[in-house]
Amino acid sequence: MSHNLLLLLHLFIFLSLSITSSLSSPSPADSHPYLWPLPVEFSSGNDTLSVDPAVTLIVAGNGGGSPIVRAAFERYMGIIFKHVSSRASLLAKIRFLRMVEYDYDITSLKIIVHSDSEELQLGVDESYTLMVSKKNEQSVVGAATIEANTVYGALRGLETFSQLCAFDYLTKSVQIYKAPWYIQDKPRFKYRGLLVDTSRHYLPIDVIKQIIESMAFAKLNVLHWHIVDEQSFPLETPTYPNLWKGAYSRWERYTVEDASEIVRFAKMRGINVMAEVDVPGHAESWGTGYPDLWPSLSCREPLDVTKNFTFDVISGILTDMRKIFPFELFHLGGDEVNTDCWKNTTHVKEWLEGRNFTTKDAYKYFVLRAQQIAISKNWTPVNWEETFSSFGKYLDPRTVVQNWLVSDICQKAVAKGFRCIFSNQGYWYLDHLDVQWDTVYNTEPLNGIEDPSLQKLVIGGEVCMWGETADTSVVLQTIWPRAAAAAERMWSTREAVSKGNITLTVLPRLHYFRCLLNNRGVPAAPVDNWYARRPPSGPGSCYAQ
Amino acid sequence: MRGKGANIAGVLPLFMLFIAGGISAFEDIEKLRIWPLPAEVSRGGRRMILTGDFKLVTEGSKYGDPSGILKEGFDRMLGIVKLSHVISGDQNSSGSTGSALLEGLIVIISSSTDELEYGADESYKLVVASGDKPSYAQIEAKNVYGALHGLQTFSQLCHFNVKKKIIEILMTPWNITDHPRFSYRGLLIDTSRHYLPLPIIKNVIDSMTYAKLNVLHWHIVDTQSFPLEIPSYPKLWNGAYSSSQRYTFEDAGEIVNYARRRGIHVLAEIDVPGHALSWGKGYPALWPSKDCQEPLDVSSDFTFNLIDGILSDFSKIFKFKFVHLGGDEVNTTCWSATPRIAQWLKKHRMSEAEAYQYFVLRAQKIALSHGYEIINWEETFNNFGSKLNPKTVVHNWLGTGVVERVTKSGFRCIVSNQDKWYLDHIDAPWQGFYANEPFQEIKDKKQQSLVLGGEVCMWGEHIDASDIQQTIWPRAAAAAERLWTPYAKLAKNPNKVTTRLAHFRCLLDQRGVAAAPLAGGGRVAPLEPGSCLAQ
Repeated sequence: MSHNLLLLLHLFIFLSLSITSSLSSPSPADSHPYLWPLPVEFSSGNDTLSVDPAVTLIVAGNGGGSPIVRAAFERYMGIIFKHVSSRASLLAKIRFLRMVEYDYDITSLKIIVHSDSEELQLGVDESYTLMVSKKNEQSVVGAATIEANTVYGALRGLETFSQLCAFDYLTKSVQIYKAPWYIQDKPRFKYRGLLVDTSRHYLPIDVIKQIIESMAFAKLNVLHWHIVDEQSFPLETPTYPNLWKGAYSRWERYTVEDASEIVRFAKMRGINVMAEVDVPGHAESWGTGYPDLWPSLSCREPLDVTKNFTFDVISGILTDMRKIFPFELFHLGGDEVNTDCWKNTTHVKEWLEGRNFTTKDAYKYFVLRAQQIAISKNWTPVNWEETFSSFGKYLDPRTVVQNWLVSDICQKAVAKGFRCIFSNQGYWYLDHLDVQWDTVYNTEPLNGIEDPSLQKLVIGGEVCMWGETADTSVVLQTIWPRAAAAAERMWSTREAVSKGNITLTVLPRLHYFRCLLNNRGVPAAPVDNWYARRPPSGPGSCYAQ
Repeated sequence: MRGKGANIAGVLPLFMLFIAGGISAFEDIEKLRIWPLPAEVSRGGRRMILTGDFKLVTEGSKYGDPSGILKEGFDRMLGIVKLSHVISGDQNSSGSTGSALLEGLIVIISSSTDELEYGADESYKLVVASGDKPSYAQIEAKNVYGALHGLQTFSQLCHFNVKKKIIEILMTPWNITDHPRFSYRGLLIDTSRHYLPLPIIKNVIDSMTYAKLNVLHWHIVDTQSFPLEIPSYPKLWNGAYSSSQRYTFEDAGEIVNYARRRGIHVLAEIDVPGHALSWGKGYPALWPSKDCQEPLDVSSDFTFNLIDGILSDFSKIFKFKFVHLGGDEVNTTCWSATPRIAQWLKKHRMSEAEAYQYFVLRAQKIALSHGYEIINWEETFNNFGSKLNPKTVVHNWLGTGVVERVTKSGFRCIVSNQDKWYLDHIDAPWQGFYANEPFQEIKDKKQQSLVLGGEVCMWGEHIDASDIQQTIWPRAAAAAERLWTPYAKLAKNPNKVTTRLAHFRCLLDQRGVAAAPLAGGGRVAPLEPGSCLAQ
């Protein structure tokens, strides 16, 4: 039935079985905790604790009663106890077992949240402490405790807690090895992003939610939603209702309510959504609904710089989007602006001459005017680096510059006092399929920036999943596991991610995390692939591929 | 105002949208968007809107839904028609367009059992809307599993209207009468070459229901790993890849239950004696020797006791009437090369080939003793067909012409010829999956009746959690229509159904299944930006 080549295969498998058996079983005795990303501080012991499938949630603090905490607790219980049919149906069984006095070590999870604010913004406190220990004199009830200043810190703590829990196949129960655990953790960068692109390929709402869910597993916290580009305009904008005529089809669209639901779904997981409209260069699809936005029918990009209508539409879009996207950052694009159409279209050319503008002046004029619109809506503009390299000193000082092209642009931008997001294409563009996990991992956003006050201006980084060749069928396996490598770089301490032989200190943990993603239903690709999103090279253990 | 005029007014804006999207409006409205194509369909031209409290009505049904299979199926159906959209439009008034409201779905089932029986009637009738109750759709079915198929078809009639933000059904009244052409419509998954986590298997099962496939052939164990717990022989799963790449006995029971509640049988396979090296990790006595580990030791009763133990355990959770015993690709050189076994062969005056036959037949008897009917790969038939138990179902994979010979000999047959229906052949395009006719050249009705159906096989050498869905879909869907739809309704030229299959692939995507583009073979990433409907 299956492939022939059996003898050869047997030989190969035999070899790999004997090799993998030493690697494959993540044993509790290993020296590194299988946590991803690695917490800032942690200590562990030698106890093995069983976790009660009916573990109860105890909340405390001003923010303990938040529905965000309650919902997250239920989500993580589903993840931790997925091997038993369902937690709900099990509760009855457990109560029965209780009568025969089965003793679990961990019977409750206490979550203390000090602040009652659920506002999610850049720089929200994501720190937490997590303690897991056996019953002792102080506490008759064995417990795990998460303490955080905000609900979002509590979410990060829950993720770490879920990674400590392992299903033990012999006892068929969930165990925490190497307890007692004491973990104190916080992110190194406040902006840890992933870009998705719904213009080159529409991503169904369900798929976007799968991506958001998976981001939370790696403690990423910004979904950069590159909504529109020249290929399609999938989002409804009530003020200019013809814009989404630029969608690929009636099916491939998001309503305003859909977008709000995505933002809500992300917020429940502590993830901000940063929307982008990329002007003036990447906007051809806008003209499908409003052809006046094109310089001419035959020359359609960039947007017509001469018309007030162009800026009215931008203002309308931003007004509509402000109701959807509460995040303080808004991305205005500004990259790859080829101004030939302006030069070649008579009325634009006349307008340029009338103002004594070069095309570059017009590009600057466009970007700055768009920035002011965003600022007037109480948004902080983010722009791709070309805006900085072309006319940096004119940019609004609040601008966050997003790197992609030149490796030292953040260095230059922070030197001029701008904030910066690192996304260098050679390392952190996920559509570059030939970039392997170790290259992603070893890329340091602060490279070349020594002054601590300047380092602070690098707010973080972002891996970019451009959509030209990534649709529903391949997007998750192109993102994962490489995005996880960047996620640890951005979360864990610089010392922790920069020392030692990463093949020994990091790779086994990344293997483990990739399998964890698979076990949670996320189709993360093999870690060892020399080329992203390729199938596994042969039969084998997830922990060895 | 209702009726024709209003209806045109309702459809027209959508018509405009199609043009804007670059999709031919005419095709979109004129052609059916149902996969697999039902046996009989008629439709009208009127639009209906699903109300916000769209409900399930079971009055008049003999089926009491004791374990909630129907209710769950109905709720799942409502979930997938929304495609995760927020339904924020006015669902409870017909509005200015004059569209009629559809308030619920009446499901009338004539059998009270929820036993999932192989070969039971899977037919259903679906009308939207009912003649008696014009604001209700109605499904009639012999049993609940037929009704589940009806729910799937119903889900494909529903559309999310992005402008009105409601769920609607165009072109009512619909009258659909439907039943499968073949009773066995399978998909093989392989959890030995790579472990597939539980949520992934469940995703695969869910996606199968969308294409009305009904048998998950679970190739659990093979040379590489033994992931399943066998209580009678608790060391067998020492052959798992690792301590965590395993299924407990309860997990397997849960998979069977999950599938059953969706009308899908689970066919368990242990592939003996050839594909079983991993068994010996826990019980090295099963290997001919440490250096020669496959096939299983034919000379030892322990081997057969162990098979008996496995099948005894299987019979507690795998309730399908068939069990698959493999029997393919048996390289018997280890038997002759091992002195102990060579002596045994000599003593029993058996050649290697006869020992192979002895093994397969003895395993068959064990399976029969546990109440199973047996499926074996075709080599068993090719080598000693006349000796096989007459209840054997022969599973084709290698050659063409086998189906003809098998059925001529009076055996039942499942078609999976590798050149067309092996999903791991990623250069095999969907058109070949569509065009592969299980009857091949068989004209004799009796022989035709012995072809139970077919199966597409997702062998796992290069398949893990990261690429299984896009290697299965959309090509498995092409085979699913071949297995479901009446022969006369199938396109002679597969390219005629491209648009409808592209639509189904996008539907899978929208439902969160990572189905690959149609262009090329299997699992191709899109080459460039574009609409899902055009790739």
